[in-house]
Amino acid sequence: MSGEALLEVENLTVSFPTDEGIVQAVRGVSFSLEPGRVLGIAGESGSGKSVTTLAIMGLLPKSARVAGSVRFDGRELLKLSERQLETVRGRRISVIFQDPMTSLNPVYTVGWQVAEAIQMHQDVSKKQAWSRAIELLELVGIPRAAERAQSYPHEFSGGMQQRVVIATAMANDPDVIIADEPTTALDVTVQAQVLDALKAAQKETNAAVIFITHDLAAMAGIADEIIIMYAGKPVESAPTDEIFYSPRMPYTVGLLASLPRLDTDASEPLRPIPGSPPQVIDLPPGCPFTPRCPLARERCHEEEPELRPFGEGHLTACHFAEELESRGGEEIFAPIAEDTEVVAG
Amino acid sequence: MEAVLQTPPEEGTPLRPARNGEVLLEVENLVKHYPIQSGKLIRHKTGEVHAVSGVSFHLDIGETLGIVGESGCGKTTLGRTILQLQPATSGSVRFEGEELTTKKGSALRHLRSEIQAVFQDPYASLDPRMPVGEIVAEPLRIHDRWGRRSGPQRVAELFRQVGLSKGHANRYPHELSGGQRQRVGIARALALAPKMLVLDEPVSALDVSIQAGVVNLLDGLQNDLQLSYLFIAHDLSVVRHISDRVAVMYLGKIVEIGTRADVYDLPSHPYTQALLSAAPIPDPRRERERQRIVLEGDVPSPANPPSGCRFRTRCWKAQQICTDEEPALVDRGQGHPVACHFAEPAEVV
Repeated sequence: MSGEALLEVENLTVSFPTDEGIVQAVRGVSFSLEPGRVLGIAGESGSGKSVTTLAIMGLLPKSARVAGSVRFDGRELLKLSERQLETVRGRRISVIFQDPMTSLNPVYTVGWQVAEAIQMHQDVSKKQAWSRAIELLELVGIPRAAERAQSYPHEFSGGMQQRVVIATAMANDPDVIIADEPTTALDVTVQAQVLDALKAAQKETNAAVIFITHDLAAMAGIADEIIIMYAGKPVESAPTDEIFYSPRMPYTVGLLASLPRLDTDASEPLRPIPGSPPQVIDLPPGCPFTPRCPLARERCHEEEPELRPFGEGHLTACHFAEELESRGGEEIFAPIAEDTEVVAG
Repeated sequence: MEAVLQTPPEEGTPLRPARNGEVLLEVENLVKHYPIQSGKLIRHKTGEVHAVSGVSFHLDIGETLGIVGESGCGKTTLGRTILQLQPATSGSVRFEGEELTTKKGSALRHLRSEIQAVFQDPYASLDPRMPVGEIVAEPLRIHDRWGRRSGPQRVAELFRQVGLSKGHANRYPHELSGGQRQRVGIARALALAPKMLVLDEPVSALDVSIQAGVVNLLDGLQNDLQLSYLFIAHDLSVVRHISDRVAVMYLGKIVEIGTRADVYDLPSHPYTQALLSAAPIPDPRRERERQRIVLEGDVPSPANPPSGCRFRTRCWKAQQICTDEEPALVDRGQGHPVACHFAEPAEVV
């Protein structure tokens, strides 16, 4: 946790005005990222994890209201013009999205696309860019790269396409790679290959990685630190082992308890979190997890807990985090099957 | 774990043991090929996609058979062919001893009341313009089982069974959350009191915290209603949780089949081992220590599957015999059938 921060996000908020009201997609996210580290951001749909990264990259639609601060290498990214951002995006910070075909152009060969990314930001000849592109394709594990570089994206499988995207993302030796659900659309054996490619990319560039996923298991093997998001806010943040072995926020405890696992007794019933994630329009006061939390009481309805330190490098947003030291997920969450969600509206 | 599997289902399920263990569904050498057509003016067949190539298994009463495999392995086609949503190319599907593949018209309609389906995306399978109460009532009306008094009662009962409140019945699908919509899909599937459900990725579109509740619901319904499940999914952890037996598919064929303990604790086919070793475990210390079997290359095209063993192009054990001779799915001393010339149990989780 020492060393120079490369990327510093402070109190980032994003809201979208809609017909139904203001959607508060991100309600105050802060973190700092050091070179060579992997930060995992985990959360369910609607938790604000993807909007956070789009805000960092300046990729949100014009209707979005963004506030707070994103400092990268001493510069405030939120204040840069589109033109200035282009010198950062793709060169110093690059992104890998879930669906590789959102990033690849179907009418150009994959080699051309990787080479183009190189030439866009570096002063090299076409030939140099091409041979570097082939090197990169080899590095991410594309067999017979020199030959396959001549292929079009549709001639590749999903896993191979995603590797091309990773090669493009590392083409300009970036400082930060943001990977937003990079393996979610892929089969499990391919997932392992793509994660290997991502690790290779990180090793080669020594970039910091922000790894966003809803899949806690996939995060276990790759992240150094993890932020758990809920209703637009980080509710827990800690080194990876701490999150898995001593979670201090009931939501994290519930997420881990609800996972079917390969390494536990399969005849035990699962323990779901009752209810469902809240709409981020007109959130009531108090902790947003209150309606689903077995530990909730009076105070939780009235006062939203701030993220507070709880041990070394560990932050939690729960008034009663102390109680979790002695009680695990099996004790707190019941193995229910009913639907306990409140009918909306 | 083996002990758990060998004992009869837990107490508190008085309905089940009576016929439990009897075979409900028998699939034999089922084949489904899709034609590949080309030509602009005159369409002609230029090839075939071998989606399901000779699959055999049985499903007992009250049992869950999990079918796992990656995209393109034929697991969904298998489910749809068993449901007779599309005709089989060849082979046989017998339900309670009756051959289904030759059934037509009203006989087929009767069958549909016995075998129902739940699909991945409840949003796509629920009519957006119908209140969900009507959606659940529809099968009863179609099959002439709707009574003025008994109809609404049955719908209310179904809502209670899937853990939804009565208040949900007047709502439209878009007003419900993903988990609630999937419960509506399950209620509709149960409306005609089927004996068997084909569940095709029923929880993979749901958030993890919601998924667990639906899995528990399916578990409970099976006990209460003596249902048999064909549970098709790509998620190995979910399949392990819900299945009594598991079949692993690769490129249109079952490569390994056995009890949950057989397949997960003593996987003996290289592909099963690779699948299990690639599946992440939410335990950072174990993840750091685990040895992964990382497969080379991609799944070959089902239009042109490799000769011999279909897995041989990605297999680290492959020899000449794997090219020349297709390994049969038989017990090779592992205690359960494995389709590999070099089958050997290994611990990979």
